[in-house]
Amino acid sequence: MATASQHDAHLKRPEVDAMIEAVRAGVRVEPHGSRTHAAIGFPVSDPTIVRAPSGVVRHDPADLTVTVFAGTPVAELDAVLDEHGQFVPLDPVDRLATVGGTIAAGLSGIRRLGYGPLRDHVLEVRYVAADGELVKAGGPTVKNVTGYDLVRLLVGSLGTLGLFVTVTLRCRPTPAVRTWWQVGVDGVTALERAFRAVAIVSNRDSTTVGFEGEAADAVALRSRLDVVDEVAAPRLPTRAHRGRISVAPRDIGSVTAALDTELAQRVAWSAEWGVGTVHLGADTGKDLEVARAVAARHGGWMLREAGASDIDPFGVERPHADLQQRVKVAFDPLDRLSPGRFGGLA
Amino acid sequence: MITSPGSTPPGSTPLGLDPDELVACVSCGLCLPHCPTYRVTGLEIASPRGRITAMRTVESGLAPIDEAFTAAMHACVQCRGCEAACPSGVAFGHLIEGTRARLAANEPTDPNRGRRSVSRVQRLVRRALLGRALTWSWLLRLSGWGLVIGRVLHVIPRRLRSTAPNLRPFDVRVRSTIERGGRPDVWLFTGCVMDAWMGATHNAAAQAIRATGTTVGRAERNVCCGALALHAGEQDLARNHARRVVAAFPGAAPIVVDAAGCGAALKEYGDLLDDASARAFSARVYDVHEWLASERSLPLRTTGTTVVVHDACHLRHVQRCHTAVRSVLGGAYDLVEPADEGMCCGAGGAYAATQPELAGAIGERKAAALRAVGADRPGVVVASANPGCTIQLRALGFEVRHPVELLADALIPQPAEHESR
Amino acid sequence: MYSRDAGLSEGRAGAVCFPNDAADVAFAITACRRHGVPFVARGSGTGLAGGATPLDDALVIVTTRMNRVVGVDRHQRRAWVEPGVLNLDLTRSVTQFGLHYAPDPSSQQACSIGGNVGTNAGGPHCLASGTTTAHVLAVEAVTPTGDTVTLGGEVPDTPGYDLRGAFVGSEGTLGITTKVLVRLQPNPPVVRTLLLDFESIDAAAATVSGIIAVGILPAALEMMDAEITRAVEDFVGAGYPRDAEAVLLVELDGLEGGVDEQVRSVERIGHEHGARSVRVARDETERQLLWKGRKSAFGAIARIAPDYYLHDAVVPRTKLVDVLRDVYDIATRFDLTMMNVFHAGDGNLHPLIVFDRRIAGTWERVYDAGTAILETCLAAGGVLSGEHGIGVEKRDLMSQYFSPADLAAQGRLVDAFDPDGLANPHKVLPAGSRCGEAGANRPVPQGAWI
Repeated sequence: MATASQHDAHLKRPEVDAMIEAVRAGVRVEPHGSRTHAAIGFPVSDPTIVRAPSGVVRHDPADLTVTVFAGTPVAELDAVLDEHGQFVPLDPVDRLATVGGTIAAGLSGIRRLGYGPLRDHVLEVRYVAADGELVKAGGPTVKNVTGYDLVRLLVGSLGTLGLFVTVTLRCRPTPAVRTWWQVGVDGVTALERAFRAVAIVSNRDSTTVGFEGEAADAVALRSRLDVVDEVAAPRLPTRAHRGRISVAPRDIGSVTAALDTELAQRVAWSAEWGVGTVHLGADTGKDLEVARAVAARHGGWMLREAGASDIDPFGVERPHADLQQRVKVAFDPLDRLSPGRFGGLA
Repeated sequence: MITSPGSTPPGSTPLGLDPDELVACVSCGLCLPHCPTYRVTGLEIASPRGRITAMRTVESGLAPIDEAFTAAMHACVQCRGCEAACPSGVAFGHLIEGTRARLAANEPTDPNRGRRSVSRVQRLVRRALLGRALTWSWLLRLSGWGLVIGRVLHVIPRRLRSTAPNLRPFDVRVRSTIERGGRPDVWLFTGCVMDAWMGATHNAAAQAIRATGTTVGRAERNVCCGALALHAGEQDLARNHARRVVAAFPGAAPIVVDAAGCGAALKEYGDLLDDASARAFSARVYDVHEWLASERSLPLRTTGTTVVVHDACHLRHVQRCHTAVRSVLGGAYDLVEPADEGMCCGAGGAYAATQPELAGAIGERKAAALRAVGADRPGVVVASANPGCTIQLRALGFEVRHPVELLADALIPQPAEHESR
Repeated sequence: MYSRDAGLSEGRAGAVCFPNDAADVAFAITACRRHGVPFVARGSGTGLAGGATPLDDALVIVTTRMNRVVGVDRHQRRAWVEPGVLNLDLTRSVTQFGLHYAPDPSSQQACSIGGNVGTNAGGPHCLASGTTTAHVLAVEAVTPTGDTVTLGGEVPDTPGYDLRGAFVGSEGTLGITTKVLVRLQPNPPVVRTLLLDFESIDAAAATVSGIIAVGILPAALEMMDAEITRAVEDFVGAGYPRDAEAVLLVELDGLEGGVDEQVRSVERIGHEHGARSVRVARDETERQLLWKGRKSAFGAIARIAPDYYLHDAVVPRTKLVDVLRDVYDIATRFDLTMMNVFHAGDGNLHPLIVFDRRIAGTWERVYDAGTAILETCLAAGGVLSGEHGIGVEKRDLMSQYFSPADLAAQGRLVDAFDPDGLANPHKVLPAGSRCGEAGANRPVPQGAWI
């Protein structure tokens, strides 16, 4: 009976050895990629920095799966898949982000409405655990309930539970038509009418609908949505201080209205209908804090995504912090992996 | 542990069930949502799978036939909704009938009877309804039997008591006008208690049959189908009834039945009596809708009335000809389907009287499903082809009529019809 | 009565309780904790891996009475439901809004949402839309420490670890679900179901690859072999061709124009690969009938022999044909009747062994053949289970797929949730996987297998 480890020759890389050595040395270890998500969470003080290898390990177009080293930039992954008419809707804000960093940050892309959250695209992760062991979580197949779903636990864990070495992702065939429309209906109406739209994004001026699918469906949907124009993909706010609000999707309208009332032009926002995410850009960290208070009043919260180093990265306590902490301690009893990234003990 | 229900010859086990039938259940649980008692209790023992597990345990000698087992077996409505849902073809009806037969046979020697009120009800039901239904028909003419028995025994469920003033019994003033005997093209089976209650229904059925250009007659004397006896485990009694019924319908003419429970019983005489003539008899039996649907189309007018179709279990799960009700009524009425896949209403023959609590809960569930499709709106009629269901649904406050009565209302009068009367 | 689920393992219930709400569940778990009594959750008992089988005389906590659909937000397409709500009942309750709940295990008419969460249940329509975990936004649960927690939430992201993700599919070992926030899908305006029949399994498998290769991701893509096709046809009479070596059931849905384009593509690809016929269901009745055949497959085989052992494994789709060949060889080697019905689109195999356990020595052969099948799937780069879960059934095979370090990592998750080891003991992980495990290397209790 062949065990998985016999197929793992590709994991013998100097970068991986360095990761294992670092955790075994008993120092505080932080994995770095392209640093595009560096502002997520609290900074780790005085870490030993490790980097995962880069490059595509294996692409099986017929199985719709791809395995890459965690250090592979998303742009590189996109290029490799595109050659075979496939893609993975990771959509980090900056495509220089590494696959590992994107997964560790856990921030879903702009096409979440259509393709689901980031965690649904990840099938398997190989990681270096706190005891220096190479661990496999999940499996290479699209469907898998073999054991516990550690993959979803690791997505968004900010390097605090394990150091990613390789990531296996679920690919999708590139659709015949991929387009964005500026529409003449509001977000609520678009959500009602745009069957299987990949995204419905509003900013202060307009609402755009992302469509990916068959040509005939594009024609049918255009008439239902009162399409004004075909446009480029919506640009998320780019100001120096950025945040991401999570609210119940039914509150998108009232949250954005409150942002306009309280901050007017001092923030730029892009809201994802049907998802509940509002991307924010502000000129000052203080304005982001005002936006955070708006989110809190609507039962949500705001993650600091960039800049604003003077404000709390999360602004709220993690729900069931005791349970979260027990998980952290179980995985990393000596607190070696990105210690303090979630604040407090973790 | 490997249990081997098949290791002993049939009949020598505590329940005497067919081991092959018992082993056919693979415990997949697909029957669960189709079982009315499971639906209202959420208890495994109130599900077909649980009952079969209990039967197996008793058959293999691992558990005695105790009060709990007996109660579990009597809690089954015998709607046989599980049979239609079972992908493995488990003959649950046969298993539960066999079990009840053995329980009934054991009864006199069992010193520890269950709750007294239940046993009183059951004994009375058996004596009064099963054995000598005809002599009791005078009483039945006064009201629905559930209420009758309830009044006699002072066990009217609270639910029924509160709605009792609204309970509209069958209109017993209408006598059946169909000729007895002779050599008609088809026989109409008019039964025993049904005959007392269902004069109007029988007349309507005959009217619809005649409208196809067919002559119709009924048996020389009233005979009982024996279904209630069979469900209560009184198999010998049921066989006596069956033999009388077979004798009452000579010739080869089709026998048309307008009560779902009776029709189901007649169709299973072949198995019950296990002889060639009974099988030949069963092959001649048709549900009235089934027969009408296979005939040339009836001259119907469009009524504009909305009819919610309630399927009697013995029409849907046993006879499996419930679609015929829709095809015959569809031409005259706007039909609406409740979204509960033909779940039992809890009437179940004498069930409403013997298991008032469960029957009440099942009835409430049914009522909710009917209300969900507007069956309680004024002018909307519920069609029910079984007298037990009709009593239950009327008690729940719905306007209920038999499909053939609705059909007769919508018939465009034909000149020939008057002559044949 | 509560000693087993629809699988083959049997245990013994120490006691059974029927909570009405989360407070009742918390009360039961707290009492268990105080007295050191293990507990196991049970919904409809339709699981096939023994996940709900009580071992160590566990208290069985039955959720059938927690069966309310608490609230539906038709506009945001989500609903809070209690764990005892049946999968198909949930869909029925939102049909009026033009919505449905996407995961549709073959037992969907009977299985409960709580059980679906426990096993991360799949179903034919998970090919395009993902398994249960992709449709569960939040889980309210009582953890083994007696705490009532809400994992995930109404908001798209919560700070910290995705404990919701870790909980889904944990088979009742991390706690008991008391309420679930599910995602609902809008009903597609057009659904077309096609039945293609082939003279060889290879041709059917090549058609599957061909469909995926042109970029079509069908809503469902199912394959049935010759034996199961005949068995199902005897039961349902759906018009499945009795002489086919393999049939494919392909469902395409969406807007009218796009679906029509895809139907034409699938027809063309089928004929290119030697399909004898391609039948497109004319109406909803015919469509339902075709699906009834597929969904009744596992029960229908009881018409052939009284027992069956239904396996569940996943291999990379491209390995399907090779693996199937090995699977049939195994059946021949062990002299068993084997049928195959499976989710071809995602490589999820369901080899089905039919047998009569009353014949001495049969069960041992069935068990050994099952193990051989799973080993074949693993060797082909597959996994142990695609949707049934591990339970007690495949627990001891876990070490063939995972290394001790992998298992230890999973054990850490369990340790964090269940320090006392009382939640559904002896399930999922083989003995000795957890660092704090009391009495490590405990064997499976005697009599756990019938």
